[in-house]
Amino acid sequence: MRPPHPLALLRYAALTLGALAMALPFADMFLGALRTPQELLAVPQVYWPRDPQWRNFARVFDELPMATWLANSVFVTSAITLLQLITSAMAGYALAKFRVPGTTLMLRLVLGAQMFPFFLLIIPIFFLLRFVPLLGGNDLWGQGGSGLLGSYAALVLPFAVSWYGIFLMRQFCLGVPDEVIDAARLDGAGEFRIFLTIVLPLIRPGLATLGIFVFVYHWNEVIWTITVTRGASGLQTLPVGIYLLRGAFADQSTEALQRAAICISVLPVMLVFLGLQRFYVRGLTAGSVKG
Amino acid sequence: MSAGSSSAFAARGLAPYLFLAPAALFALVFLVGPLGFALWVSTTDWNGIGAARPVGWGNYRYLFEQDPFFMRSLLNTFLFAAGSLIVGVPLALGIAVLIARSRLQSMWRMLFWLPMITNIVAIAYIWRFLLNDTNGLLNRALDLLGLPGPDWLTGINWAMPSLIMVSAWMTLGHNVLLFLAGLNEIDHSYHEAAELDGAGPLRLFWHVTLPLLRPTLLFVTVTSLITALSSFALMLVMTEGGPARATTVAGLYLYDMAFTDLRLGRASAAAFVLAAIILAFSLAQFRLLRRGGVERH
Amino acid sequence: MIQTLRTLRFVLATCLTLAGAVAPASAASPPTTLRVAAHYTAKQAAPLLACFKRYEAAHPGLRIDYQQVSYRDYLQTVLISRVGRSPADIYNLYSIWAPQLIGVGALDRPPPSLERLVRAAYTPATVQAATIGGRLWGMPSAVSVYQLVYNRRMLAAAGYRAPPRTWAELATIGAATVRRNRQGNVVRGGYAFGTTTANIAHTFYAQMYAAGVPPFTADGRGTNLRSPAAARIVREGAMLFRRGITSHAMTVGNFAGRAAAMTVLANWQKSALAEAFGDRFSSEVGVAPIPTDGPGGTMIYSFFWGVERASPSRPQAWALIRWLNEARGRDGLTCTGRMLGGMGDLTGNRADLAAMRGQLADPFSRGFVAALEAPGARPQANVWHAEEIDRLLRYYIELAWYGRMSPPAALATADREIRAILAEQPR
Repeated sequence: MRPPHPLALLRYAALTLGALAMALPFADMFLGALRTPQELLAVPQVYWPRDPQWRNFARVFDELPMATWLANSVFVTSAITLLQLITSAMAGYALAKFRVPGTTLMLRLVLGAQMFPFFLLIIPIFFLLRFVPLLGGNDLWGQGGSGLLGSYAALVLPFAVSWYGIFLMRQFCLGVPDEVIDAARLDGAGEFRIFLTIVLPLIRPGLATLGIFVFVYHWNEVIWTITVTRGASGLQTLPVGIYLLRGAFADQSTEALQRAAICISVLPVMLVFLGLQRFYVRGLTAGSVKG
Repeated sequence: MSAGSSSAFAARGLAPYLFLAPAALFALVFLVGPLGFALWVSTTDWNGIGAARPVGWGNYRYLFEQDPFFMRSLLNTFLFAAGSLIVGVPLALGIAVLIARSRLQSMWRMLFWLPMITNIVAIAYIWRFLLNDTNGLLNRALDLLGLPGPDWLTGINWAMPSLIMVSAWMTLGHNVLLFLAGLNEIDHSYHEAAELDGAGPLRLFWHVTLPLLRPTLLFVTVTSLITALSSFALMLVMTEGGPARATTVAGLYLYDMAFTDLRLGRASAAAFVLAAIILAFSLAQFRLLRRGGVERH
Repeated sequence: MIQTLRTLRFVLATCLTLAGAVAPASAASPPTTLRVAAHYTAKQAAPLLACFKRYEAAHPGLRIDYQQVSYRDYLQTVLISRVGRSPADIYNLYSIWAPQLIGVGALDRPPPSLERLVRAAYTPATVQAATIGGRLWGMPSAVSVYQLVYNRRMLAAAGYRAPPRTWAELATIGAATVRRNRQGNVVRGGYAFGTTTANIAHTFYAQMYAAGVPPFTADGRGTNLRSPAAARIVREGAMLFRRGITSHAMTVGNFAGRAAAMTVLANWQKSALAEAFGDRFSSEVGVAPIPTDGPGGTMIYSFFWGVERASPSRPQAWALIRWLNEARGRDGLTCTGRMLGGMGDLTGNRADLAAMRGQLADPFSRGFVAALEAPGARPQANVWHAEEIDRLLRYYIELAWYGRMSPPAALATADREIRAILAEQPR
């Protein structure tokens, strides 16, 4: 073993500093959640909680509909993820492996549609969901009721398809050898069986990557959810619920509760996704699959 | 095409269309339809409830000629985006280079990646507490060092830089990963050859690594730019656009216009203007990447 | 084979998920549900929620849902959920939101019998607040008034026995009570303006009324922002920042946290202050008129119970509102009165006010009641798009505070833009 190069030491020092900058904010949040009201009101605030208030975490569950928010977050995000996986794999497969009239147009659409920022669609999709005929109290012409607004569909359907996801899945499907598919066809397998039993298993790493990608993105989505759930507070997700707390906990002495709620919104995702990190990394770099 | 019975062929002929059907239907219902609807709304004075009166290009003209704040909000948007790039991209590149040459790569990667899996509301609150002028950890630390503590979020000159800092912190992990992927693709023989020629680490980075990393650099820059131009959730939660609207970006401005003031026509017009700007950048991205010879990204 | 099964299960699960997602959430409600939207936290609204329980017990088949929406999110929530056609049935509305809501057809007219009751049982100022365009739109509830509150101990420690009467005195006392840390940041404000739009814009209005100049013209089509009084108020505010007597980070809540010596707030904060100061509340918290060089006065603002016009259960909604504001418990209070009294808020209901007399006997409440009854107290004008105007005004006041515009220039620009909004009001 040769002694570490001084430059290497410097490198590790810099990395450690950077890592501290990433981790400290979370630690600060957590510490703050343990303070007593007296410590919060002291001038200046007491930094190290002398008598850690672990109770604050339980109080948050008692005083706020945390469980509902959590359940909504899990349900909505899972539904979006499942839908996107299915629609992306199907369309991605078709775009990668079939050359029929229309696929070129569709591929262009997939590439082009990615360029439209979502905020452009917030207003029209909001009204589109309201005008869905025959649902949510609406008549045949989409008048009278709230349509799909106020239902989980309003949170899920606008994200049922991801253009990026289709593109990504196409890249993965391109890597599936034609010979395998042709061999299955010769065996008399139908197109859907081929898709389900041959293609899907082969692109499973891609699906895992996309799934985590989508899950992380939509778990953290705020703007659309807040817009749609104004009139349906029972549908609020974890981030939205926590956002709206700013009015309820305006008082400095309840800062610890707000912090505790935030910790609870952060921790489960972190634990789950740290375990799945390698898939996420692959997703980010999957754009470089030769295509 | 392999041989098969005619019915199997017919099924295959239909199959791609069935596979594409959900996406095509979605495109119609959730993209083309809404865009057309929004375009129509942008030429009316609709408030979402009453009848809509057509006003032609009136909303667009209003935004550019009369609206007291739209141009400023665009300027704020560019400031934020440019700042996020200037701070975020070099930082991510530097960290990626450091990680690439270190052990325990996955641990470092994970640490820088933490904010990516944290919801934006939590991030905003975490930093609101950290950046508090008297109780925040940052100013306490600066005080220990005997340094002054700026009013990060309430100072009219500090709020935007603070948001840029938080945004860079938030997106760092994502960009580090992209750069790491780019670095891993670089052929090691280049480095070895340069090292044999006696090049120091800085020269090596500048003359060998950086040029080879150009495609990734371009990709990261342009995607970050587009994300920064269209995001406003961070401002909504962290500063509500203040102080004195110093952090009111166009997205936030038009969101309030639409959903608090119910000026849906004007807000739709503003959305199209902002989208057109972002679209221009996206197109530039495609052209740049193509010229760079990096179809693969 | 296992793969196929798995895939099948996957597809099946998705279909079920989808089916579940598409079914509207409202499918399984009882015959009549009344959704009541108010900004009171569950803690503040506890007496009201208890009344809801009793009412539900007396009316089988009726359910009452309480929807808490914070003050800052309230108008946006009403508007969006209305536009999305899932509005609440009953609103507790800040009167200044009413013109915009009536403009979009959101409110139902009360039945004539209820209107007669309101005119007979409520103080004129609150009836006036719930009257827009010459018509009454609901049943008055909370009445609040702005006053200066000050920390007696902090003032005494700095050698001041009496609260400031003018803004110049306020600055002097503020400079004597402010504490800054080594970094020069204010840890204890001599004064706190607050950081929300309502804090900034409404304190300014209260100061305008105190100066004897109402912020809006009587016809609701113009402002008095170009008046010397307005410029002076903003200039004096900016001076507090420049001299480091307050900071832009100071919140009204800092007063309760003993991190501000003075602030302007409304009486409904009484319960929160009492809790924060404990048994020192009476001895430590003082109430005084808004400092001014003018004739003195303040702004009264009011809330009222209104009913959503699109609600399918309007008669039941009005019946509930009537019961909440007419039926009296053993304490002599209505349900609304009990909730408001518990917070330290005032009401326009004369009988409730009489029954609350005991609760209003402490120095804190006496200060506010006196202000409410003083001739200079004026009800806030219910102008068109008030929320948008408040945001605009806040922006220009802040520009002046930060020294980006001179106070008269900032106010003149605000005046021009506000008049453009006011001009949109249909006649």
